[in-house]
Amino acid sequence: MSVVVPRRVFLKSSAVAGTALLVPFHLSGNPRAHKASGSSTSNTSGSFSPNAWLELSSGGDVKIWCGKSEMGQGVRTSLPMIVAEELGCDWASVNVVQADLDAKYGDQLTGGSLSVRTSYDNLRKAGAAAREMLISAAAREWYVERSTCRAENGSVIHLSTQKRLPYAQLVALAAGISPSADPPLKNPSDFKLIGKSTRRTDSLAKVTGAAKFGLDTRLSGMLIASVERSPVYGGTPRRFNADEVKSAPHVRAVFEVKSAHLTHQFGETSGPGSRNYSCAGVAVVADSTWAAVQARKLLKVEWNEPPSAFETTASLREKMLRFASEPGTIIRNDGDFEKAHASAAKKIDAVYEVPFLAHATMEPVNCTAHVRSDSCELWAPTQIPGAAADSIASALGIPRERVKVHVTFIGGGFGRRLIQDYAVEAALISRDAGAPVQVVWSREDDIRHDFYRPAACHVLQAGLDAQGQLISWRHRGSSPSIETFFNGTGISPRAAAQVDSLDFPALFVPNFRLEFTVAESGMPLGYWRSVDASGNQFVISSFFDEAAHAAGRDPLEFLLAAFGPARKIPVGSGETLDVGRRRNVIELAAQESGWGRPMPSGRGRGIAAAFGWGSYVAQVAEVTCDADKGTLRVDRVVCAIDCGTAVNPLGVKAQMEGAINFGLAQTLKSAITVSGGRVEQSNFHDYEVLRMSDAPPVIDVHIVPSAEPPGGCGEPGVPPAAPAVANAIFAATGKRIRRLPIRAADLGRRPAPAR
Amino acid sequence: MAISFTLNGKPQSVDVSPDMPLLWVLRDTLNMTGTKFGCGMALCGACTVHINGEATRSCVTAISSVAGKKVTTIEGLSADGSHPVQQAWMEEDVPQCGYCQSGQIMSAVALLSKKPNPTDTDIDDAMSGNICRCGTYQRIRKAIHRAASMHTAKANSAA
Repeated sequence: MSVVVPRRVFLKSSAVAGTALLVPFHLSGNPRAHKASGSSTSNTSGSFSPNAWLELSSGGDVKIWCGKSEMGQGVRTSLPMIVAEELGCDWASVNVVQADLDAKYGDQLTGGSLSVRTSYDNLRKAGAAAREMLISAAAREWYVERSTCRAENGSVIHLSTQKRLPYAQLVALAAGISPSADPPLKNPSDFKLIGKSTRRTDSLAKVTGAAKFGLDTRLSGMLIASVERSPVYGGTPRRFNADEVKSAPHVRAVFEVKSAHLTHQFGETSGPGSRNYSCAGVAVVADSTWAAVQARKLLKVEWNEPPSAFETTASLREKMLRFASEPGTIIRNDGDFEKAHASAAKKIDAVYEVPFLAHATMEPVNCTAHVRSDSCELWAPTQIPGAAADSIASALGIPRERVKVHVTFIGGGFGRRLIQDYAVEAALISRDAGAPVQVVWSREDDIRHDFYRPAACHVLQAGLDAQGQLISWRHRGSSPSIETFFNGTGISPRAAAQVDSLDFPALFVPNFRLEFTVAESGMPLGYWRSVDASGNQFVISSFFDEAAHAAGRDPLEFLLAAFGPARKIPVGSGETLDVGRRRNVIELAAQESGWGRPMPSGRGRGIAAAFGWGSYVAQVAEVTCDADKGTLRVDRVVCAIDCGTAVNPLGVKAQMEGAINFGLAQTLKSAITVSGGRVEQSNFHDYEVLRMSDAPPVIDVHIVPSAEPPGGCGEPGVPPAAPAVANAIFAATGKRIRRLPIRAADLGRRPAPAR
Repeated sequence: MAISFTLNGKPQSVDVSPDMPLLWVLRDTLNMTGTKFGCGMALCGACTVHINGEATRSCVTAISSVAGKKVTTIEGLSADGSHPVQQAWMEEDVPQCGYCQSGQIMSAVALLSKKPNPTDTDIDDAMSGNICRCGTYQRIRKAIHRAASMHTAKANSAA
């Protein structure tokens, strides 16, 4: 059984926060086995495992399985907390175990800021079911009514006598009791763990070097492969000097890796219809990483190059700019933009641009595979082990159940490890090498062969009436489309659009139009932390700030006035948009930042917000600019988040801090450019990311107390960072930033050179 | 030809190509995977170890140049997380994905050995060669200050 996540929820930010995710109750992958035996499983070692998620031993240990991939976001802490809360065990007794790929854990896709949201109810039930069985066991032991007993801190207590039995002593008895499919859940006011800041369970492993990431997999007889891939995406090797390279020291084999069909498994887009990704290249297989890397330097490959070998950043930009200047596919059309705009007392227009971006996870892409005659065992840093298994089964022509996937720690995901090209590549190379193989991507491979956040151009117009009210807004966007890349050009223009019809200020401007045109590109595209919103929020929140200044109004006041009073607005499909929660985070961030207090010359504050993934985030950035020197420093970012129930507030804060720094990297540093179809960057000297010296001295995170269902936290902190900084720069200098990343010339007194 | 050096306090000898970087000797020859590969060009700091006490990028350090020297890796600080910098890291809940943290910690230990009470500017200077994509920089700063104050407190109580 798998949990189907609506595709839009995954791909898009889902501007309607609080969207209910219907997830089937899922305690065990094999409920029939439970029915047949009429009881939960126990084994001779004295343990009790009522469902897939937990196991109690007679020694007092509690094992809790984590069904999602740990890539830094803290799921090996937050998800077990949910089980432990309802189980009522001592948190210190919990050992967290990473789940391998197994249907009993439901959907193991880790992305879309979904892990806590889609696991919350099920994991509570899993813990509660075990607790109820332990209570029943104690009641039987004492010959008392169950209702006279309760569970507390790892024991069952008989209320009137205060007799107490630790869970460890109830393990054998509880194993003979049938689990309930619908156990009673705790009243949230009784929570002892959920909502309490809890340190990570994986810190010790990560500060001692013991944590095993994908690249740390070591198998007996394992060889290392380094792969030369076509510099232009989609190219294939025509000829290469295999014999010469094979004679290099410690080299075992040199061969072509053919392209394979990759299953792209996100809800509705599962299965056929997904495309053949290019993972074609030439593999150099050797005894060690160094030997493979050195031998690969001897490789000379002639490539068959696709037509995209002519693409350049300039040519794509010209195309996107042209498309964004013309009518496109209408994504949303409220009121009458033309008529209202014609009547506007004041009009503004602007062009915004964002570049391609690479994920640049700190752990370079890698995977270890051991293919035998009719099976494959995989050690993968993957966000989507199911898609790895599907794709490998298809590529090797073996049954899917013969693909075993071990999920390792992931050294940064950010969406890169949702695409399983590297897993299939490892399997194909292991098959052809006849040995377990670890495929190690160099940093250069990683930067040049990513699935990139699309570049985009946006042309916007807005009109204000004589009272400074925003009456008209037209946004025309153009970019390559992730959806088209994955599913081909046959999909509808609306489905291909890289904008969301519910993104602010939709619904808050009476005459509003949103249009989009796909600009085709040969670049491989993928999901980058916060996907479309990463660029779109920069555009929207910056242009909205332009409108505030054009109206001569304070940006905070203008933003709140546009929202109007707290209320819930129906937006179709039974969903509502909660204006109160939006206002609340904006007001909280503003208040905590000291919004309105005067700042010295050269300093400024900017505000921006983003709503999606079930959460609400607002940020105020403070910057110091020296226009003469062209220098910029982000001094502080104040962040307010309403993510409903914050399971682990310490983890939520970490996600906001990390998301802001990730957002600042695209604001200040990173860009991928293309020439001759080739990515021009290769390593951290030319694909720059945020460093310690760039990181704001202070990030203050404020969590809105809430009993609403949990919202996502991995992504919503990313989009507001860029516009908050850009708006702060305008406040400090009067310079409007309309492209990312920000260059020194954009801050300087001299006009930026023509581009 | 065998190359000998001291690794985490113990004599170590390896028979590998003299141009093989220390990083790959550690990871592939000795199976000590705590030291990470990030860029191969001394740009990201994930591979940081100490050579004779100096923070060094092992990905660009040929093993031949290590002969006779003292190498300390993350495994050499402590296996149980008892080193003050590891303690401070855990107390501040620094790691996210954790991949860069071995290198971050090795850089921080080297900084603190030279400057027991570093300023934020000292930290920026010493730590800007270590990239963290998860963005744990603010917590790293706090953890370094915490480790420094732990050290100071210990020194004071000893005096």
